[in-house]
Amino acid sequence: MKNGHFQTRIRGIYKYISENLYLNRPDITIKDESFNSTLLFGLLTGLNRGKELIIGEPGLGKTTSAEYVGSILYRYPLGVIWGSEVSGHPEQTEEKIIGRPHLGELNKGRERVVWSNFAQIPVKIVDEINRLPETKQSMILNGVDRGNWEYLNEILINDEYSLFATANYQDRGTNTIIAPLIDRFDILVESRHPGSNIAYTIGKEALSHNPLRHPQYEKELQQILRGDNSYEEKMALAEGVCDLFGEYLKEKLGIEGLSKEERRKINEERMGLDFDIDANAFVRMTLAELSFCHKFGQKRSVEVCEDGCHYTGYLCHHTKNCASNRLPMSIRNYAQTLAWFLEDDGVDLEHIRLIIPYALAHRIQWKDSYLSKKEGEGRNDPFQIYLVKEATEEILQRYNEQREYLLEALSVGYRAVAGEAITPLEGDHPIYEEIKKDIGAKDEKSL
Amino acid sequence: MKNPFEAFHQAGIRKREIPLDKILKSKEETLTKILSGYEDLLKNEAKDLVWLMQYSTVIKAYSIAEKGMEGLEYTAEDIEEFCYALDHSDQIPYLITGPAGVYISVLCNHAKEEEICLHLRDLNVKINLLGYRLPSNKKLIVEGNVGDFTGIGLDGGELIIEGSGKNYTGAGMKRGKIVIRHNLGFNTGHGMTGGELIVGGRIKGLGKIVGGKVYERDQLIFPTEGIKPLYV
Repeated sequence: MKNGHFQTRIRGIYKYISENLYLNRPDITIKDESFNSTLLFGLLTGLNRGKELIIGEPGLGKTTSAEYVGSILYRYPLGVIWGSEVSGHPEQTEEKIIGRPHLGELNKGRERVVWSNFAQIPVKIVDEINRLPETKQSMILNGVDRGNWEYLNEILINDEYSLFATANYQDRGTNTIIAPLIDRFDILVESRHPGSNIAYTIGKEALSHNPLRHPQYEKELQQILRGDNSYEEKMALAEGVCDLFGEYLKEKLGIEGLSKEERRKINEERMGLDFDIDANAFVRMTLAELSFCHKFGQKRSVEVCEDGCHYTGYLCHHTKNCASNRLPMSIRNYAQTLAWFLEDDGVDLEHIRLIIPYALAHRIQWKDSYLSKKEGEGRNDPFQIYLVKEATEEILQRYNEQREYLLEALSVGYRAVAGEAITPLEGDHPIYEEIKKDIGAKDEKSL
Repeated sequence: MKNPFEAFHQAGIRKREIPLDKILKSKEETLTKILSGYEDLLKNEAKDLVWLMQYSTVIKAYSIAEKGMEGLEYTAEDIEEFCYALDHSDQIPYLITGPAGVYISVLCNHAKEEEICLHLRDLNVKINLLGYRLPSNKKLIVEGNVGDFTGIGLDGGELIIEGSGKNYTGAGMKRGKIVIRHNLGFNTGHGMTGGELIVGGRIKGLGKIVGGKVYERDQLIFPTEGIKPLYV
């Protein structure tokens, strides 16, 4: 996908933020290029309308990285982004997050909803999401998942949005993020400490005036968002001000954000990128290990398999829960966006290998025995990302060992589903059992 | 329902080709061509598996070998591969060290690289005639021991043997330099007219030398007061 025009602009944004606003070390490498994972995944999230959970110690730039990416990519002045952020705390209410009744209209006996800025603008940031009590986390489930915000009898549907949420590590003030909410996040990244030398520079070069602020456009956007127009009209007006802010960014900082139309085009381009046969088969193999159970038919968090199963060596034996259908969607979206960003012709194994750990880390529930076995191992990543990186490498090794045979088995699967009388291939991996189930060669009831 | 294996329609018959496969394939093709050139040389020059080492036979073999490898693209690594194929492979019906040495010399003299290093330490046989007619823009380094007639007719090149040689080393050399780290046999430098032959170890015996210089363990042993060039 070598059109290069948009990609150059995105690389310009990455360079500007990494050199001026979010100083950090590169911590991931793909195709001989090194990137900082927080910044790269932030940009990918903004480009593919994704949902990203950023974890890390307090003060290491979780929220600010998201604010900068959202502000430049969507061309909203920083003041508007700040004004639309939702803070997670126990006293947070639906009225502050989503919307409230218009009190004047209510006095006249009419119901009208005043939508929050958070519900309206496409860059949504939830700060310290795990400080929201579990009951209140449920309030934002639908909005996080589909961009549907409901209040009273009204509904606001975002046609485009990206969500960034930050979470501190567990302390006395935090709650567990409920399983349905955590599964709705596509990606988990850690905003890491930049190292003493870069940290020293951050303190030294702290700016008195943030270059992404623009009080005049911020005021204009606030007025538009507070106005009485319909949501669609407001968004059209807001885009006009965003255009002006985009011009300002280009002129003053030399960076170009993306208009709504450009973001739509990019999405179209990246969705046109196909998975090559290895990327396709590798994702299937990973999903098989995460969802298969020899004894109970599939993984269920309430059913624990015992030791001594034939598949003890596979990932399914170390995990409690089953991979949700959101996982392959997240992998697909982010791998396509990464391939697009790198100007590759399609999604290959390298893209998948990079994406899977970040798409899986927050979704997987490991068995306690496995956690105790691995927790003492030396590592650079947070424990949950480290475990999945290790697991991904293990699966990749199995894939490389069995590649030719697996492709043959999948090809036989195609012929069997197409109606040919053919015997499925036997193999020592859950994927072969899954193929047999799909072609009806394995009677599940007999188990 | 849509076939969930649609993407793998052709997968069973498609094989993954990695860059290494391409490299190996190209190496294999080159080696096959080199081997076929050698076999042609044998067919022409050693029909009865006998090859008589004579001045005229070496010249003839050299020109046949030159014709056989016209247009062939290869590297120094391919020459080394050929040497090992000579020693180990069952692809070669027979190894006759004379024609093999002439053939390797042709390969070295026509290689693109100016400096060629052949790692032949593990070779079971000692190849004769290595470095034959090595021209002035070439440097050939051989790691391991070599056979008879090494560096004969040397034509300005630099031949370094990191090991020992046998008889008639440097015979008929015109110019250039031969360095032997260890020992040499009889008739060393026989008929040489110029150049330098430097031997780190011992020389069993010198041949009838016409010109040039021969050193043994840093000592000039030809020409000296006792041994003068034939033409003086």
